[in-house]
Amino acid sequence: MLRWFLVRCALMVPAIVGITFLTFLLLDLAPVDRARLEMLQARENGAPFQEHERAVALLRLQVRYGLVDAQTLQPLPVWTRYERWASNALLLRLAGPDEDEAQFWRRLFDAVPVTLLLGLISLLAAFVIGIPLGVWLGLHAGERSERAVSRLLFVLAGFPEVLIATLLLIGFGGVWLRWFPASGLHSDGIDEASPVSQALDLGWHLALPVTAMALPILLMIVRFLRESVSRAAVAPFADNLRAWGLEDRLLRARLLRAGLVPLATMCGSLLPLVVAGSVVVETVFSIEGIGRLAWRAVTSEDQAMVMTLVLLTSVATLCSLVLSDFLQRLIDPRVRLTR
Amino acid sequence: MSDKEIPVKITPPRKSRTTGMLLLLLLLLVAFGPLLASEVPLVARVDGQLCMPAVQELFGSAPPGPGDLDWQSWAKSLPISSHDFAWSTPWPHGPFATDPKRLRAGPSLLYPLGQDDTGRDVLARILRGARPSLLLCAVGVLLAAVLGVVLGGFAGLRRGLADLLVMRLLELFLCFPMVLVLMALAALFGNSSIGVVVVFGLSMWPSFARIVRGELLTLRERDFVHAARGLGLSETRILLAHLLPQLRGPISTTAAFCMAQAVVAESTLSFLGLGPGAQSGSWGSILMQGKQSAHLGVWHLWLFPALAILSSVMLCHALAERHRTR
Repeated sequence: MLRWFLVRCALMVPAIVGITFLTFLLLDLAPVDRARLEMLQARENGAPFQEHERAVALLRLQVRYGLVDAQTLQPLPVWTRYERWASNALLLRLAGPDEDEAQFWRRLFDAVPVTLLLGLISLLAAFVIGIPLGVWLGLHAGERSERAVSRLLFVLAGFPEVLIATLLLIGFGGVWLRWFPASGLHSDGIDEASPVSQALDLGWHLALPVTAMALPILLMIVRFLRESVSRAAVAPFADNLRAWGLEDRLLRARLLRAGLVPLATMCGSLLPLVVAGSVVVETVFSIEGIGRLAWRAVTSEDQAMVMTLVLLTSVATLCSLVLSDFLQRLIDPRVRLTR
Repeated sequence: MSDKEIPVKITPPRKSRTTGMLLLLLLLLVAFGPLLASEVPLVARVDGQLCMPAVQELFGSAPPGPGDLDWQSWAKSLPISSHDFAWSTPWPHGPFATDPKRLRAGPSLLYPLGQDDTGRDVLARILRGARPSLLLCAVGVLLAAVLGVVLGGFAGLRRGLADLLVMRLLELFLCFPMVLVLMALAALFGNSSIGVVVVFGLSMWPSFARIVRGELLTLRERDFVHAARGLGLSETRILLAHLLPQLRGPISTTAAFCMAQAVVAESTLSFLGLGPGAQSGSWGSILMQGKQSAHLGVWHLWLFPALAILSSVMLCHALAERHRTR
């Protein structure tokens, strides 16, 4: 099993290199590079440049952003630049030329815990509600109540996350009903209150964002579980157990275990969903997490931060894939851990 | 539960007329939006010469109007005896004209969906927003389908090393942080839609490739393929003429699901103010506007774009369902 684990971890390296290189390549496709963009802005601000001065300033910017080699003044090919970025990234020097490392890491570490909290609570809520609901639907497949609930879920699955978040904000965050706060994670002046009321305040602020983020995950879990449990319920092994006269409660536990296998496979793909959700939810509810950070980085052409976030999320996704494989092997005795 | 069988019902696929109608409507809107809602007339005769300004708008921008007037005031100023005329489009308002007297006006009989916060007509904006919301997604899904079918077909037919390579590539793309890259490219490319289309294509081809490869692995051992091979047909011809038609169902199901994803992604992007849709007024950008003015009690500005996005996503889901059951 240790060997399997090591092999999987070793396989992550080429995947990370591939993903980051592809991202680098795609970002390089853009028609305007950063240096030129900055020059355009300078011209808009009315800098009285001569043609020659402008060319020199552009070259200086291009050297600064690593687009042009400092000695030969030739443009660097994309793989050389990627190599530089990757060797810097290996030493965890991820900040761009415009800010120092400490400031860069502070920005990152301010955002990560917020999204982590939001994502973990959403995942927890989705699993706690989704698993019983999915199993119930799977066991009652074909009945009238199941069909009604499934139809409702089908309609809900059509709701994009943007829409869910916006509707929740409009519905419960101040326009229609003023039940929950519309933005932020803390009330003003809560710092002086007792820890209990601080926690309550945080929960009150988290209610809407967590609902918006958990709903798509919940729907996915329910859909998978309903399929797999209803398939397990008519499988020969279930008939066999019934013929033995196994108690309902025990039979349900067996069916749940059989039904959990596809769910374990799916777990790996939940993380991109959380990241995508955090961008939307944090924008709608004005929470300063990773999604907001990504939006800022993207709109301010902060390529260093974009690359860092891509690296971070792809590492996390790959880890969660390994984890989901591991879970699958744990649940399903047909898959062995030794390979 | 234990003592009764789960009834397995085989219901014949329901042929819903609403999905067909909605699909037709959306296709019409995407293809001929300016002919349906525009302030310039469909057909006009100016000084005895026929012209079709709305058709010109379909391919670019409409001429500003005869003389110094715009089209509407020109049409009003025509004397009754004049031989000149202007036939307006079915909905005679465009998405750009502002009416400062009707800021955030609610729906009324004259303007069924009301006005937005700069006085633009919401119905016209929704009708004309179909193209920026959907066209890009369709092109992206098409690109993904072509990439996926070619690579999946290659992997499924050749097997061996090609299969291994394609599958590795596929796994790589499954971990690809699509959202971040999509946002970054949309911001970098600004008004141009190439970036978004490329990311759509790159992020969705794995679903097509997986389906095509999986189906081909079983299909290639079927008798009719062996027969075709025995007749000496080339691999390409077998793939194109004999195998791909068999894959029509799975491919169109995947395409419909991917289209739903793409529509959601596009409206999210424009909601965040990124990408080409944000400038050209796709549904997501109207939704953002509606969210911003919701606290003023303006409900028509978020409800109608939400309905438009929802109905197109649901349409894609329904189409996928229909192809799956077929």
